Amino acid sequence: MSLVSTPGSNLWSSVWKLLRLRGVIFLSGFRRARLRNKIGMVVLGLVLLAVLVVAFVISYLVLRVLSSPQLAQVVPEPDRLLANIPVMVVSLAFVIILITSFGLLLQALYLAGDMDFLLSSPLPIRAVFLSKQMQAILPNYALILLFGLPVLFGLGISQGYNLLYYPLVVLVLTLLTLTAAGIASLVVMGVVRIFPARRVAEVLGFLVAIVSILCSQSGQLGNFAEISGEQASFALMQLERINSPISPLAWAGSGLVAIGQGQWLSGIGSLAITLLLSGGIFAISLSTAERLYYSGWASVQVSSRRGKKTRREPSRVTTRPIVFTLFDRLLPGPVRAILAKDFLVLRRDLRSLSQLVTPLILGIIYAVMLVRRGGEPPTGRGDAPAVLIEVMSNLMLFANVGISLFISWSLLSRLAGMSFSLEGKQYWLIKSAPVSTPRLVAGKFLVAYLPTLILCWIFLLITSLLQRVSLDTLVYNLIAVTLTVAGITGLNLAFGVIGANFEWEDPRRISQGALGCLGFLVSGVCLLVCLFFFFGPVVLFDLLGSTPAIGFLVGLVAGGAASLCLMILPLWFVRQRIPVLAE
Amino acid sequence: MNPNPNSTLIQTRDLVKRFGEKTAVDQVTFQVSAGEVFGFLGPNGAGKTTTIKMIVGLLQPTSGSVEVAGFDLQEHPLEAKAVCGYLPDTPNLYPKLSARELLRFVGDLYEIDRDQVERRSKELLRLFELSEAADDPIDSYSHGMQQKTALASALIHDPQVLMMDEPTVGLDPRSARMIKDILRQLAERGAAIFLSTHILEIAERMCDRIGIINEGQLIAVGTMQELRALGKGETSLEDIFLSLTGGAEYAEIAEVLK
Repeated sequence: MSLVSTPGSNLWSSVWKLLRLRGVIFLSGFRRARLRNKIGMVVLGLVLLAVLVVAFVISYLVLRVLSSPQLAQVVPEPDRLLANIPVMVVSLAFVIILITSFGLLLQALYLAGDMDFLLSSPLPIRAVFLSKQMQAILPNYALILLFGLPVLFGLGISQGYNLLYYPLVVLVLTLLTLTAAGIASLVVMGVVRIFPARRVAEVLGFLVAIVSILCSQSGQLGNFAEISGEQASFALMQLERINSPISPLAWAGSGLVAIGQGQWLSGIGSLAITLLLSGGIFAISLSTAERLYYSGWASVQVSSRRGKKTRREPSRVTTRPIVFTLFDRLLPGPVRAILAKDFLVLRRDLRSLSQLVTPLILGIIYAVMLVRRGGEPPTGRGDAPAVLIEVMSNLMLFANVGISLFISWSLLSRLAGMSFSLEGKQYWLIKSAPVSTPRLVAGKFLVAYLPTLILCWIFLLITSLLQRVSLDTLVYNLIAVTLTVAGITGLNLAFGVIGANFEWEDPRRISQGALGCLGFLVSGVCLLVCLFFFFGPVVLFDLLGSTPAIGFLVGLVAGGAASLCLMILPLWFVRQRIPVLAE
Repeated sequence: MNPNPNSTLIQTRDLVKRFGEKTAVDQVTFQVSAGEVFGFLGPNGAGKTTTIKMIVGLLQPTSGSVEVAGFDLQEHPLEAKAVCGYLPDTPNLYPKLSARELLRFVGDLYEIDRDQVERRSKELLRLFELSEAADDPIDSYSHGMQQKTALASALIHDPQVLMMDEPTVGLDPRSARMIKDILRQLAERGAAIFLSTHILEIAERMCDRIGIINEGQLIAVGTMQELRALGKGETSLEDIFLSLTGGAEYAEIAEVLK
C-alpha cells in the first residue's frame, strides 16, 4: 500500500516545491523570532532598499562626472574607461559569485544534512540540485543586483544607451551567476573528494575572516592624500587590463556597451557567444555535478586512513620540554588539563582561531602607524597651549601601552568572555569531573591571560625598541600591562560566566546576548580607568616637576590596586554560579 | 578497586528535580551496592537521564540527596565525582582532540599520575580497538568510535561507580558484546554499575536488579523474580515493563501502520 499517488516527476514544479519549502522555513523562522529580531530584519530590508536607491543616484552622478571634460585632464581617454565599466562590473560579479557560491554550495550539499532526505524523496535529482544551487546563489545574486545594477543602469542613463541595454544587463548577470554557481559546484566536489567537507568549511571561514580584516584595515596604511594625478591615472588605466579580448567576461561587457551604443552586429555577436557559452557551461556542470554526487565520487575521499602508519607516541617523560615540566610542578592537574586542552582546541579549530587573529592584525597595523609617526603627537595648527602639548608628548610615551591594551581588550573579549561558552556541549566532561571552582576558574583564567599577556609584551617590547623608550619606562609599562590585563581578564571571565551559552554548533556564532555586549563595554571602561590610575600620576608628577620615580610609585600602587580589584571582585561575585553552569 | 561487596555505592533519597512547573523526577529513592549491575528502565521522557545527571553531579536536585561511595554529592561533590565514571547518551567529545589527548585530559582532571594515564590509555585504546585512530581528531570518528572513546574516558580512572546512559546505542554487535563483558568484569571486581537502557534483553540478561521509572516516579525496583511477582502473571521483562508503564498506545500505533 502506498499513500503517494503521483511521484513528482516534473522538474520545475519540483524545484518550485523545494524553493517554496525554503520560503516556508524562512517565514516560519520569522514568525517565531523575537519581536526585536523581527524589527531588525524589517529594518535591514529597508536599509538594503535605501542602499539600492542611494547606489543608483551616486552611480548616476559619478558616471556623469566621468564623462565631464575635467576628467580628461586625469584620464586621457574617458570614453574607453566608461566602456570598460560594464566589463569590470560583470567580471567582478562573476568572480564574487564564484567564490561565495563555493562556500554556500559546500554548506548546502555537504553540511546542511538534508541531502539524504531530499534524494530519497520522490523528486528528480536535478530538481534537488537546481534548488540547492538557487538556494546558494539567490542571496548573492540579490546583492550583485543591488550593487551592480545601479552602476550599470546609471551608466546607461548617463551615456544615453538604448532601451534594449537594460533587460540584457539583467539577463547577462543572471546567466553568468548560474555559470559561476555551476563551476563552483564542480570545484566543491573536487575539493571534497580530497578533504573532509567540514575541514574545508573551517579553512574557508578562516581565510575569509583573515582576508576581510586585511582588506578592511590595510586602507589605513595607504597614503591616499599623497596620490598624484599621474598615479591615479595609471591606476585607472590598469583597470583596462580586465578588458582582454580573450576573456568571455569581456565579451559580455563589451557586447552590452555595443548594444547600448546601437552597434547591433558586434553587440549581438559578442553577447550571443557569451550567453551560449554560459548556458552550455551551466548545463554541463549541473549534470556532471549531479552524476558525481549521486555516484558517490565526491564522498569517497582519496586521502583515506588506509596505509597511514600509526604514529608512535614518544615517551612524554623523556621528551617534555623543561617549561612543561615546570608547569607540571606549579599547576594542579585540572588546571594543567584545562590549559593544555584549550590551547590545543583553540589552535586546531580554525573557526575560533580566525577570531583571535583579528586583534593580531590590528596590532601589527597600529604598530606600523605608530612607528611611522615617530611617536610624536599630532601637531594640529600649532596654536595649542604649551602645557597641553607637554601633556600630549608625555601621553605619547605611553601610546604603545594604550594600543597593546586595546589589542588585549579585543582579544580578551573572546578568550575570557567566551571561555566557558567555548566548552559547548562538551562541558559535561569537566562538570562531571572532580574539579573545584577555584581550579576551574584558574584554568580558564590562565587560558585567556597567558597568550594575551605574551602578545602584549611582544608588542610592547618591539614598539618600545623602535621608539627607543627608556628602560625604566619600559619596565613600568610591562608591569602596568601585566596587571591591567589580569584585571580585564578577571572581569571578562566573570561576564563570561553570567552569559555562558553552551548550546551552539559553530564557535563563531556563540551568542551571549546583551551580557556579552555589556561585558565588552564595561571592560573597555575599566581598561581606561586602569590606564588613568597607572599613567595619570606619572604625567601629573612630571608636570609638577617631581622626580619620575614618585609618579611611577604612586601609579603602580593606584593602578595595581584597581587591577587586582577588577581581577578578583567580579569573579568573587559570580562564584556561586559556576557550579550550576549548563543546568 | 575492591570495595566491600555489601557496601552501598549509590544511594538516592527522595530525589526530586523540577524544571519550572514540570516535575521530571519525583521522590526517587534507591540504592546500588558494590558489585551490582543496576538497570534503569523507563519510557522516553520518564526521567532516566535527569536522574543520572543528578547522580553524576551535572544537575542540582531540587530536593533530596545523592550519596556516591558514601559521599554526599552536595556536601562533598569532589570526592563523590572522583570515584564516579559517566557515559552520557550522546558522546559529545571535543572534536579537535584525538582519543589519546582526550584520555590525557580526563586523566589530568582526575589527577592521575601521568605514567599511569599513559599506561591506562594504551590499554583502553587497545581494548576498544581505537589504537589505530588514537591520534586522529575525534570529529573524524564514527558514532560507535566516539561512544567507545567516551567509555574509555569514563574508565580511565578505574571508577568505583559507573553511570551509563544508553551505553550500547550506535554500537555494532561485537562492540556491544564487548561492553557487556567489560561491565560484568567491573562488577565482579566490586564496582557498582548503573545503566539506563531501552534494550530490555540487555537489562534482563545483565542486570542484577532493575528499576523502572515512569513519569518521574520509580514504580518498581527489584530482581527479575521480584518484578515478575509485581507483574500480573507476565514472565518476560518486556511484558512486565509494558504492564507497569502502560503499553496500550503501542497496539494502537501498530493498528495505524497495518
